[in-house]
Amino acid sequence: MYVPDFEYHAPNTVAEACAILAELGDRATVLAGGTDVLHKMKVGKLAPEHLVSLKNLDELREIREEPGRVVIGALASHNQIYTSQLLQRRYLSLPMAAHTMASNQICNLGTVGGNIVNGVPSADLPPILIALDASIRLTSAKGERTMPLEDFFWGSAQTRMEPGEILTEISIPDQQTTGSTYLKFGLRRSGALAVAAAAVSVQVSGDTLHAVRIVLASAAPTVLRVADAERSLIGRRIDDELLAEAGQFAAQASRPRDSIRGSAEYRKNLVGVLTKRALKKAIDEGHA
Amino acid sequence: MSDNHSVIGRSVPRIDGPEKVTGAAKYTGDLKFPNMLYGKILTSPHAHARILSIDTSEAERLPGVKAVITHKDVPTLKYGLSPARWDESIFCSDKVRFVGDKVAAVACLDEDTCYKALKLIKVEYEVLPAALDFLHAMDEGQPQVHEEYARNINTEIHQEFGDVEKALAEAHHVRTDTFVGQRTYQSPIEPHSAISMWDAEKLTIYSSTQSPHYFQHYIAREFDMPMGDVRIIKPYLGGGFGGKLEPTGLEFAGAVLAKLTGRPVRTFYDRAEMFAHNRGRHAQYMEITTGVDKNGKILAAKANFLMDGGAYTSLGIASAYYAGALLPLTYEFDNYQFDMFRVYTNLPACGAQRGHGAPQPKYAFESHLDNVAADLGIDPMDIRIINARRPNTVTPNDFRVNSCKIKECLERVRVMSDWDEKKKNLPLGRGIGVATGSFVTGAGYPIYRTDLPHAAAFIKVCEDGTAATLYTGSVDIGQGSDTVLCQMAAEAMGYRYEQMKIVAADTEITPLDFGAYASRQTYMSGAAVKQAGEEVKRQILEMASVMLGLPADDLECDDGQIFSKSRNVKSLSFEEVARKHFVLRGPLLGRGSYTPPKLGGSFKGAAVGTSPAYSFGAQVGEVAIDEETGEITVVGIWDVHDCGKVINPRLLHGQVHGALYMGMGEAVWEEVLFDDKGRIKNAELANYRLLTAVDMPPITSEVVDSYEPSGPWGVKEVGEGATNPTLGMFSNAIFDAMGVRVNSLPLSYEKVWRALKEKREREEIAKREDAQRGLAPQVPVPLETVPLESEEPVYANPS
Repeated sequence: MYVPDFEYHAPNTVAEACAILAELGDRATVLAGGTDVLHKMKVGKLAPEHLVSLKNLDELREIREEPGRVVIGALASHNQIYTSQLLQRRYLSLPMAAHTMASNQICNLGTVGGNIVNGVPSADLPPILIALDASIRLTSAKGERTMPLEDFFWGSAQTRMEPGEILTEISIPDQQTTGSTYLKFGLRRSGALAVAAAAVSVQVSGDTLHAVRIVLASAAPTVLRVADAERSLIGRRIDDELLAEAGQFAAQASRPRDSIRGSAEYRKNLVGVLTKRALKKAIDEGHA
Repeated sequence: MSDNHSVIGRSVPRIDGPEKVTGAAKYTGDLKFPNMLYGKILTSPHAHARILSIDTSEAERLPGVKAVITHKDVPTLKYGLSPARWDESIFCSDKVRFVGDKVAAVACLDEDTCYKALKLIKVEYEVLPAALDFLHAMDEGQPQVHEEYARNINTEIHQEFGDVEKALAEAHHVRTDTFVGQRTYQSPIEPHSAISMWDAEKLTIYSSTQSPHYFQHYIAREFDMPMGDVRIIKPYLGGGFGGKLEPTGLEFAGAVLAKLTGRPVRTFYDRAEMFAHNRGRHAQYMEITTGVDKNGKILAAKANFLMDGGAYTSLGIASAYYAGALLPLTYEFDNYQFDMFRVYTNLPACGAQRGHGAPQPKYAFESHLDNVAADLGIDPMDIRIINARRPNTVTPNDFRVNSCKIKECLERVRVMSDWDEKKKNLPLGRGIGVATGSFVTGAGYPIYRTDLPHAAAFIKVCEDGTAATLYTGSVDIGQGSDTVLCQMAAEAMGYRYEQMKIVAADTEITPLDFGAYASRQTYMSGAAVKQAGEEVKRQILEMASVMLGLPADDLECDDGQIFSKSRNVKSLSFEEVARKHFVLRGPLLGRGSYTPPKLGGSFKGAAVGTSPAYSFGAQVGEVAIDEETGEITVVGIWDVHDCGKVINPRLLHGQVHGALYMGMGEAVWEEVLFDDKGRIKNAELANYRLLTAVDMPPITSEVVDSYEPSGPWGVKEVGEGATNPTLGMFSNAIFDAMGVRVNSLPLSYEKVWRALKEKREREEIAKREDAQRGLAPQVPVPLETVPLESEEPVYANPS
């Protein structure tokens, strides 16, 4: 395997990066951690003429608290998220999701931004970020725009990213949720892609759920929020039967395909089980 | 056995430990030579296609390309590993037979240019229908992989010992079960690599090989050279497990490229190419029938197997024979029938993988035996103890077994694992299973026909006696043979391990040894090393006898000191005696060699499976099943082995852990998957799921006190035998946990989930039917099978 020839750019500012991308258009690909892009180039799925590396843009690595939100720079690595004391204190479910991703070597290189823009349905961070109502900021030579992360994906490896845009930050709003979690089913304990996964956030009020978000990975061509399952839970007394029923709704809404990691039928079953278990965990253990 | 040894039996540190852990150890791929070129092989994208034309002109014009070769530039002599079926060519000329078959090669200034040059070679193919399903490869009308082998039959075996039909007719209970094993791949951490260079008519190849000798033999044969003009050197090696036993296109193409360019050429596989070259475990269809008496004593066994060989023979004839030959080892029965077809398919060739031929049949037999035990209401541990082989017996296929403590292994593992308690009290979803295994301690006969000794060694003592160097052709592929053989040399010499050096696996410097396969080195190489060490010791004692004025037979040498056995006189150091020897008598050298005795019977195939000694072992595993997902958590594994005298306990237990690791992977997690065009779907380590450190359960590994009379200091093998019980052990533990059996490998989470789901559905139907009939509900516990992906279910056939 080898990386085909390309021209390399390493701009020093976001503005410079945007200018280069504006000029090169679809001849350029943005390089962040490289764990997806370089692999795709090696196996012949991607052959850009130019690679625009973001490695000098240190301001995009920052994870910080601002009034009303937590901001995660798009270049923050998975291990940066895993070890962030701020995220561990505010939303432990996110560092734990980052920890399930891959080997240490990949977690040191791979970035949250890359995990999002890659757009694959098995990505581990988008489900929990959507469960936490995150939004993203896209920057280009034309300016900036923000959108809910939930609206970003529209097909397998298809996103609303325009040519010339860079994903610069992810923002998690302050919220009333009382718990959240990400449960992933892999076929070994480390370095396994999700056969299916479920992220949930809950707002428990007494013995009922006031609000809930359920987001699935590896269950459809895109990361998938399952509204029917969410609605089935609101205002009803929490018990095992209720959670199992929500799991059934989630399974029904899922559209997995047969793959080398599991048949569609098996993955549907897993969606149900994981949704049920994730809800129980978020209700019982908070952000975990 | 009393242990009065100074060096063996101790967990001395590995002789290569510091180099390996500091990264100083150089593997073949690390080596660089002046003017070295990089070479790569172009392979077929089609499973089966006729080559219409090959145009290399564009590749040749690319700057940095120094040579491009095809079948026109290389010897046409077919090669292989099993002499009965040499069926591989350096490059395909008429047609390609699997995705990955070799078509051409390039040598370039750097690696990147190689990949670019490969893309510029234009090969025109006429794609042919491919035989991809081994279960149907023998059917009428299937594509022929090799024209000369009708119905794609590569190997056919029909053996019968005793009178099977009579014994089955007289049996209290006869049962047949069917199982399917999957293709797995050895996946050594180090990719295959070779550096070839010529000096006039002499060819030197540095190679990541398990057997420099076989490489030397086959390369000399292919290029019609005297063996003495071929030098094979094995640098540090990062695992082989059977996958690096035979010469590959890397050595053959590399040698031609080096000759043409007059420069050293490094050829190598990347991870995907390793999978394509393969030579991993054969997928296998296995039907087992036994007849037992009312106590569960096996009276007769029938094994009816079909094996997916892939496109070439590799070592597959031996694999096919091994599959049946080793089955009668752990349990005693007199009547045995073994039928086997190994078929060609348009898939990568299969070969020898750790436990060669034995693990899958063992999985089938051990699963079947548990089914028999369940039929008769006998505890699985008891049925194994009832049938356990005794020492000093002969198998129905004429293998002489000397030491054998399989019964003691079972009894010990029963206690260690708390078997009886767990068998009674584990809740649903938790289960415990047992299985046994056995393996050869070195093959009784070499891979090609020769009367050469199997192993040889010499020892050179440094002129001042402060060091001794062991020269051996044996091959440390990570298992620690360099360490163990230095221990054995020091023990035999009466010397210290810390002062030993070793030069190994260089055909020009070290004496013949067949290499690292068939679990042979501690025993066979060790026998040669012991002899060499004893020759040094004899000379030391003779010299000391002169120096001390005492008879040599009154002297002993131990731990580097020579002393009188009967008199209280000053002792001499090994160093001063060795130095005196050098001054007065010349170099102090010891030599040894080992040839096994004539072994085995005279029927066709009688040689495969013969060995001077056999290891035995028993494993118990405990699993927890998540009934909603099928996920299997391994709670613990207990392993007890009879592997004779242990030379280095830490390395021995390391071998058990490693073998278990691979066995676990094969049992539940690993499978090479192909698409409908014969392309591997998971030729990478993300989706070919080798287990990780965090997946490993607690392992308790013990040995029983054992001594093999034929071996040096009583040793036997352990490295492969410990893989043999694992697959069956998992099958039985899962069966115990769930009451259903998955009849195909791997025993994946999804198959377990499906088996549980189908069991629930059957119970529902039964309950409903019973209710309709007005009967009290009964919970049946039927056996069931689970299909391979996308196949119709193959149901067991309980008698």
